[in-house]
Amino acid sequence: MIKIEGLTILLGSFHLKDFRIEIAEGEFHFLLGPTGSGKTLILESIIGLHKPKKGKIWIGEKEVQTLPPEQREISYVPQDLALFPHLSVKENILYGIRAKNHSLKTYEEYVGSLVQVMKVEHLLERYPANLSGGEKKRVALLRALAPKPKLLLLDEPLSGLDPSIKFEIQQLLKTLHTSFHPTVLCVSHDFEEAYLLGDKMTIFIDGKVEQVGKRDDVFLKPRSKYVAYFLGLKNLYRGKVLTKEDMDRRWILGINGLRFSVPASAWEGQAEIGKEMDLYIRPEEVMILREGKSVKESLKRNIFEGEILDITNRGRHHTVLFQTIEGRIPFEISIPNYAFRNLDLSVGKSVKVALRDESLWVME
Amino acid sequence: MTFRYTMIGAAIFIFIFYFVLLASLLFSASLKGFWESLLHPSTLFSIRLSLIAATIATLLAVAIGLPSAYALSRFEFRGKRIVDTFLEIPIIMSPIALGASFLVFFNTPIGETIQRKGIFFVFEFPGILLAQFATIAGLATRLMKASLDEISPRYEAVARSLGSSSWQAFYRVTLPLSFRGLLASVILSWAKAAGEFGATVTLAGAMPGKTETMPVAIFTALASANIEKAIVLILILVFLGLVALYAVRFTGKIYRYD
Repeated sequence: MIKIEGLTILLGSFHLKDFRIEIAEGEFHFLLGPTGSGKTLILESIIGLHKPKKGKIWIGEKEVQTLPPEQREISYVPQDLALFPHLSVKENILYGIRAKNHSLKTYEEYVGSLVQVMKVEHLLERYPANLSGGEKKRVALLRALAPKPKLLLLDEPLSGLDPSIKFEIQQLLKTLHTSFHPTVLCVSHDFEEAYLLGDKMTIFIDGKVEQVGKRDDVFLKPRSKYVAYFLGLKNLYRGKVLTKEDMDRRWILGINGLRFSVPASAWEGQAEIGKEMDLYIRPEEVMILREGKSVKESLKRNIFEGEILDITNRGRHHTVLFQTIEGRIPFEISIPNYAFRNLDLSVGKSVKVALRDESLWVME
Repeated sequence: MTFRYTMIGAAIFIFIFYFVLLASLLFSASLKGFWESLLHPSTLFSIRLSLIAATIATLLAVAIGLPSAYALSRFEFRGKRIVDTFLEIPIIMSPIALGASFLVFFNTPIGETIQRKGIFFVFEFPGILLAQFATIAGLATRLMKASLDEISPRYEAVARSLGSSSWQAFYRVTLPLSFRGLLASVILSWAKAAGEFGATVTLAGAMPGKTETMPVAIFTALASANIEKAIVLILILVFLGLVALYAVRFTGKIYRYD
């Protein structure tokens, strides 16, 4: 278990107060935040390159915040990789084992299997200047993992790569994690990357931890509108709790004169009448109803009539911009291509939409 | 095209300017006189003295300059800007003023104490070392700092996370990566020390067979109208300088990792 408690960093204009994070052994944890939010500085403080004002860092049972970097057993892959240009790939990979004066024989089998998984056998005698971007990433990851660190820190590992190489490295990271189970803390601003690779994530905005949770919990249940904005979520509306019904199992949220019936499970707290809340409608869970087709009873609570303002073909799916007639609330609906073809939609067409309970999420 | 020719013309002018200067030396010397002057014991002494003094002064400048350059390149500390500015002292002070300052210093109680302890600088060999060291220490530090600045501190960060101490990260990673620039700094500093005149003549004097380095010997040869000897020494200094400059370019070709 990796535990950081009360980490406080004051460096120039950057102020971080009481940062905490817990990473279970073998977990792939993402620290997600906008560019320039100080994530790299947190990583560098964990390694020991910056002395934090206060705070404690545990690697397993060992408290390491007073130890120099070389005694912390944390490997680090910076964004620019920093492969040693004067050493061959093989020498780069073995650097950590040699620096720690460990016997190469003890690591032979382990490093051999890493080399195999990372597919770098043919690169061992080359120098970093003669490697492609993807190859450099693979070697940097291998070099970091070779000395069997207790924690692997990755700084934006997929940034600056072509889409095809990005996909390849993503797959490799997945394979690496499944095969060798390193404990990883990865810094990124890319939620998609975190969603694909991470077990758990910490959303870090403006020097504050906004949410910690498993990837689906964060994506489907953002705790604040800041998290929702960061995740790039659309369809956020401010409303007021008007009443409760069905023995408090549902609330009615009023937005621009429209009444949305929201299940109590769509928020983790207790709603009070008159309280102002943010409603998030998940674009991929909204249904456009076909004319004349019967609708399930559960969907009848939230049916709205409106007009299609815009349609965008996004390749893998279509985005329809819909606006309700009453209240004139616009929201985006994401539709799979096959459904789009069956619905015969066009700009200006009047349609009815139904909101599934799963499409609604409420934030304070 | 006028723009292109103007620029290239300026570069060719500089070349011709120096070339004519050097050619005039060759034109003025006779071959017989050249060998006689070159093999004269006082000339050989000046050459030997200059090479030894410049080498020792350069080693001293590197010994203090390299850690200073590293500190200025990598760390933030109070007074860093003042230290950095003081590296230019030998550039803004004329060499004679630098030598004169040493003469004044050795007349202060601290200076007198140092000389009383048995290390004599005024009109002695250590005076040559001190004058050359003072002239090149700032330059060597500035040049080495520029070389270290080119190496990303992330290399060291990674090396340390992989288990190297800060000393190990320095000599296993930073030193090899900046070696080309550091070597060039050392060579240029050595060439500058070998050609140093003002501070040396002021502090160590121009005593034949004792403190007469090559530049000082050129001055005394000219003063005594021994033109042959002056030309020989000038040509040797130019030759050493050109070899040093070629060595700088050669190191640039060998130690390239990109």
